[in-house]
Order: sequence, then structure tokens, then C-alpha cells
Amino acid sequence: MPEITLRQAIHDAIIEEMRRDSTVFIMGEDIGAYGGAFGVTAGILEEFGTERVWETPISEETIVDSAVGAAMVGMRPVAELMFMDFMGVAMDPLINQAAKARYMFGGKATIPMVLRMPNGSGTGAAAQHSQSLETILMHIPGLKVVAPSTPYDAKGLLLSAIRDPNPVCFLEHKLLYKSKGEVPDGEYTIPLGVADVKREGTDLTIVTSEIMVHKSLSAAEEVIKEGISVEIIDPRTLQPLDVDTITQSVMKTGRLLVVHEAVKTAGWAGEIMASVSESPAWDYLDAPMRRLAGLDVPIPYNRLLERASVPQEEDIIREIRAIVNNQY
Amino acid sequence: MPIPFIMPKMDMDQEEVFIDQWLKKEGDFIEKGEPVIIVETDKITSEVEAPASGTLARLLYQENETAPVTKVVAYILVEGETEADLPVLEISQDEKPVETAQSEISISEKPIAATALAMRIAKAENIDLNDVPSKGEKITKEDIDAYLAAKPNKHRVETPATPAARRIASENRINLKTIEGTGPRSRVQAVDIQGALDQKTRQAQTISSLEPIELTSMRRRISDRLTTSYQTIPHIFLTVEVDMVRAESFRKQLNETATDQGMQKISLTTILVKVISGCLTKHHFLNAFLEDKKIHFWDDVNIGIATALDSGLIVPVIHHADKLSFQEINQKVKTLSEKAREDLLTREEILGGTFTISNLGMYGITSFTSIINPPQSAILSVGAIKRRPVVVDEEDSINVRPMMNLTLAADHRIVDGAVAANFLVDLVDTLENPASLKELK
Repeated sequence: MPEITLRQAIHDAIIEEMRRDSTVFIMGEDIGAYGGAFGVTAGILEEFGTERVWETPISEETIVDSAVGAAMVGMRPVAELMFMDFMGVAMDPLINQAAKARYMFGGKATIPMVLRMPNGSGTGAAAQHSQSLETILMHIPGLKVVAPSTPYDAKGLLLSAIRDPNPVCFLEHKLLYKSKGEVPDGEYTIPLGVADVKREGTDLTIVTSEIMVHKSLSAAEEVIKEGISVEIIDPRTLQPLDVDTITQSVMKTGRLLVVHEAVKTAGWAGEIMASVSESPAWDYLDAPMRRLAGLDVPIPYNRLLERASVPQEEDIIREIRAIVNNQY
Repeated sequence: MPIPFIMPKMDMDQEEVFIDQWLKKEGDFIEKGEPVIIVETDKITSEVEAPASGTLARLLYQENETAPVTKVVAYILVEGETEADLPVLEISQDEKPVETAQSEISISEKPIAATALAMRIAKAENIDLNDVPSKGEKITKEDIDAYLAAKPNKHRVETPATPAARRIASENRINLKTIEGTGPRSRVQAVDIQGALDQKTRQAQTISSLEPIELTSMRRRISDRLTTSYQTIPHIFLTVEVDMVRAESFRKQLNETATDQGMQKISLTTILVKVISGCLTKHHFLNAFLEDKKIHFWDDVNIGIATALDSGLIVPVIHHADKLSFQEINQKVKTLSEKAREDLLTREEILGGTFTISNLGMYGITSFTSIINPPQSAILSVGAIKRRPVVVDEEDSINVRPMMNLTLAADHRIVDGAVAANFLVDLVDTLENPASLKELK
């Protein structure tokens, strides 16, 4: 299988869907001639022209509102917000229109739109360009939230997201754009709401997504030297959430650590832990469930502080040891 | 000032005693020198006498509790004193009651006044005495009961345990309270239950309806000493047969003389003690101990005689056995075994053994091995004398003889097989040769 970057995988998914389905089009700031802030849509304008590649003004509200309207009348817009942070500007169309329309029209209207949003810290882009706000979206019934960690998952999930009749928020971690992974040629989809076991293990389950999957995998490689076997579950889709795969894993390992870059307070780690405690897996827990998440601070500009504000590999290793060795 | 009743230290390395019984209760008048407490140490049960006359007050330790030595266990009020004169109790960091003289009380931290009973309940129930309102000057059991009854939200969880531990315990009908948790804050974890389950499986065939018996101080002592001995001392075992025909007739002669002189009949044990101690004076390695990578030899030959009791085992010692006559040994054996059975042995009478004899002959046991009683280097197991046919001469003639097996267990670090064998050869020779027996007289 050829190895491509996550950026390329998303690019391929968009372009293949645009070729397959003429109702699919893309819109966003600087996505045409410039190719998007992270170069994901480079070259699409050349193939499809301005009719299906809409350059928008700097107004996130307009982008999302237009996408909702286009979706309502039968199009499949794939809209891009340059940074997830800017969804603040587009909250009304997102939570009051996109998420609600299908319900309020009794199913007569559907909103088959995708809203792509680069998220995450690590680029020195400071507090307004580095956030991971997925938990806010998970809290809105009617929105689906996808957060891939590998090029393979990104492509398969984006295809499913575009074909889904509901609004899907699609997160892309900025630091993962350049990461490479095997992606088969041709069309394949990954269903929304199905988690992936990124590593099998017996002593501790880590539930994590996006870049934290990779940090957790490295941490797991480190602690296996001490005989600690870590299982890593990547939900891939945060809403709907594949609770079954998580609980099955916890029933096997008896210990749970949730790792995410989003801040800890009211972060989705709490949702995972609550789901586990409501499930049969509760009776299999042999240690308190723990979470390792971003600090409750705006992401600092200073690179050292920025690094310190989100979980790193060494933090994950420390946490794994603490749980497994009863030193929490 | 009330007189503190201090638990005496009875042994150099002793740290605590087990309180078997309070012969007096709070409020009783006690006379200086009269027994007040029966305590069990690792080695012996003894009585603790009143250090002064007066009224016994504030028992800080109850029966079946372990108390530290050289510490106050109660008070004696002299005439005119009441409980109000007792020092104020303070709760120390390790939550053991600590006595503080009133003059030493710091002003910043006011200690909590409470009765000993109240303090103990508070400790057991994990109650902060600061939270308990008191009706009188001191917090009493009644105050604590009232506090507990009024408390709306008692902790429901009595035993901290992980959900997994609870599930496995419930699936296997194990009472969580009986499990010692090894997790943080003594939390019971799955592995702890698993351990208990393994043990349960092991015991499955032998568990009976009989209540398990708490190890007494004596049994704990036996258990600890013998385990250490068997695990750390490389034991070697050598068995010989002794033809006791001459020894028996020798004993008969001795007894006739004894009866004529109106003295006790000499027991087989006496003969053995005498013969063995004689041999030990020649075989120093069997009367030795190992310390600091050196073999040390004892001057004295003190023979311990393992004696079975209902509650366990005790080894009274016949000191300087090599220097005593048959009659002297016989008298000692008799007295010591009687005292052992009545639990009246003094500390001196059980200390200082250099070699031990264990005899199960009276049960018909023909041969067995014993575990060395440290720091000794050997122990001799004596079997029953059985009359049976044996070859008695070069012509293969068979005769019925009273035969006895002796099995020596020796510490191989000190005693090699040949050394042990030489000792046994000497011992058998002496027992089978009336001339040498007579010399011993």
C-alpha cells in the first residue's frame, strides 16, 4: 500500500467524492488558488473551477450558514474553517440551524454537510489558533464529530462523513497533516461510530484520539519494557461514540486512562469515564479511572509553555505507571 | 499524683505482651505485690504484680489486647484521689493514647479529654473526637453513641475495594471484610481476592465447621521459631537402632537401689539425659551454635526436654546435666514436667538449652525427625522401645530384643555427617555397654 500524508488523504477523499458526486462542493477562506491555510485543497480549483470551489469572505458565520442552506436544497457542501477556534463566530448556524433543521422539519429536510476544522496546539499559533473544542460540539445533539488519527482513517471517515445525511464536524489535527500512513488506492469507507483498537494490550486501556493516539503508542512502546501492556482505543468518531468497544477493552484490562488535548474540565474524558461507569465494565475496574488532558488554560504562545499545557509522551508514561503500580 | 502502672519488660528483646486477663477491674482496691494481670510473652505466661497499693483506674488495654512494655497500662489512685486526678489523655499522631502530664499540656493545642473506652471506640470507628460533643468534662462512650446515632451520613462503604474486587468477591461469596487490601489506602483489589480464592481452593478439602483458632502467643512463637529454623538451617538426619536390653537391666538395678533407699524410680528419659550429656562433653560440635560466621561452643551442657501441653509445646531445660547424678536428673525431669503441665515454669527453667531431646516413644512412634531448636545445633528424636527379633551375633542367631530408634537432626553448617555419626556411635555404645553406664554413675 502506498504511504501518503494525512493532508493528502483528506485531499484525495474530497477530490474523489467530487468526481463521484456532482452535488459535492467545497467552500472556505483561501481554499482555491491558495489551496487552504494548510494546503489540503491545493489543485482542486484547477480541476473543478469556481462553481464547485467557493472562495468565501472572512466570515465563518456566512460559511456555515451558506453550507446549511446549500445542504437543505440538496447539495453536499464540504466547508472549511481555517482554524477550529473560529467556530465561535459560527455557533448559531452550527448549533441552531445545522444541528436542528432535520428534527424541526420532521425529517423532511436533511443537512448533509461536512465542516472541516483544523484543531490542536503545537504550531506556536497561540491561544486563538490552537484549541481543541470538540467537546462543545459533542454536546449538541444533531451534530456528528469525527477526529481521525491516521491518513487511512481520515480518508475512509471523510468519505462516510460526506455521504452522511447529517451535519458532520470533521477535526484535523494540524500536527498530523504531515504524518504518513498506508492508504489503499481507490474507494473505501469507515463507518462513523466505530472505534479502532490501535494497539492490543492487557493491563490498561487508553482511550484517546488524534495526535494523542501517536503519543500514547510511543508511551506504550516504552512501558512494555517494564512489562506493562497497554491497549489503545481510538474512538475515531467522538459523536456517535462507540462505547461498546471501550467497555469491552476495560472489561479485559480493568484499568482506564483517557488522554486528550482538549482541556480537562468538562472535557470528553469525563464522558468516556461516565459511560464506562454506567456499563457492565464498572464491575471490572480494578483501579480508579484517570484522565490526562490539556491544562485548564488558554494555549500559551511561549513554545515551552505551549508544550507543557498539553499531555506529552512522558506524561502519559508517568500516568500509566502510576495506575498500574497503584501509585495514584 | 496517681501512680502509673507500668508493664514490666521481662526479656531483653521484648517489646510487647499479650494481656490474657485482668484479675482486677477498674475501681478495685489492689495491694502492692498482688497479681493484677496475667500476660503472655513469646515464651511464657506470667503474672504482673501491683507496683503499689491503691484503687485500680483507667485500664488502657483490655484483655486479648497487646500492650507495649515499659509503658503505662493503667493507674493506681492513692487515698483521696479520684479519676479527675488522672493525667489528661491526648491523641498522638499514631492514634495511640499517650499520657501527658497536666503541666506539659501546650496552650495552643488543647487536648481532647475522653475516657479510654471512648478513645478506643473513636479509633475503631474512625471518628474525630473533635467532632463529638461531650455532656461532661470528658467524652464518654455515651457521647460517642449519641454522636453516631445523630450522624446522618455514615460512610456506607466499610471496606474500600475496587469494583472488580467487589464483583469477584461477590461471585465467590467472599466477605470483603476478611480480605486485607494491598491497594492505595488499603483498598482491596482484584489480586487480593484472587489470593484469598487461591487459599480457599487450597483449603477446600479440609475446611470444617470448626471455628478457626487464633494463634496464641505461644503458637505464634512456635510457628515463627520452627519456620525460621526449618527454612534457614540445613538439617541432616541420621537414624540408629539401639539394643536397650542392657540399658533396661541397668535401669532395673538403679530402681531397685532407689526403692531400697525410698527414692523415685529412674525414668528412661533420665537415663537418656545422663548418657547424652556425657557424650556431648566429648562431641563439642553437637553442643555449639553459629554466630557471625563463627562456631561457638558452650561450656555448659543444658538438655532441653520437649514437653507437649494442651496449648502447644514447651521445652524445660535441665541445666548442667553432665554434672548431675541420675537421681538429681530424675528429680529435675519430674519437677519440670509437672510444672510445665501446670504452666508454672519460670523463665530460667526454659532458657539456656544447648541440646534438645524429643521423645514420642510413649505414643508408640518408632522413628521420627524433629526440627532443630535454634540456636542449638542438634536435636535427638527418641522412638518407642519395641521388642522385636534381631540378629544378635556373628552366627546370625536371632533373638528378641527391646529395640529403640534414635534420630539425630543436626545443623549441617556446624555438624558434618561423620561428626554426627561419631556422636551417635558413642551414644549407642554407651547405652549398649553396661560398663560405661556404670561409669556414669
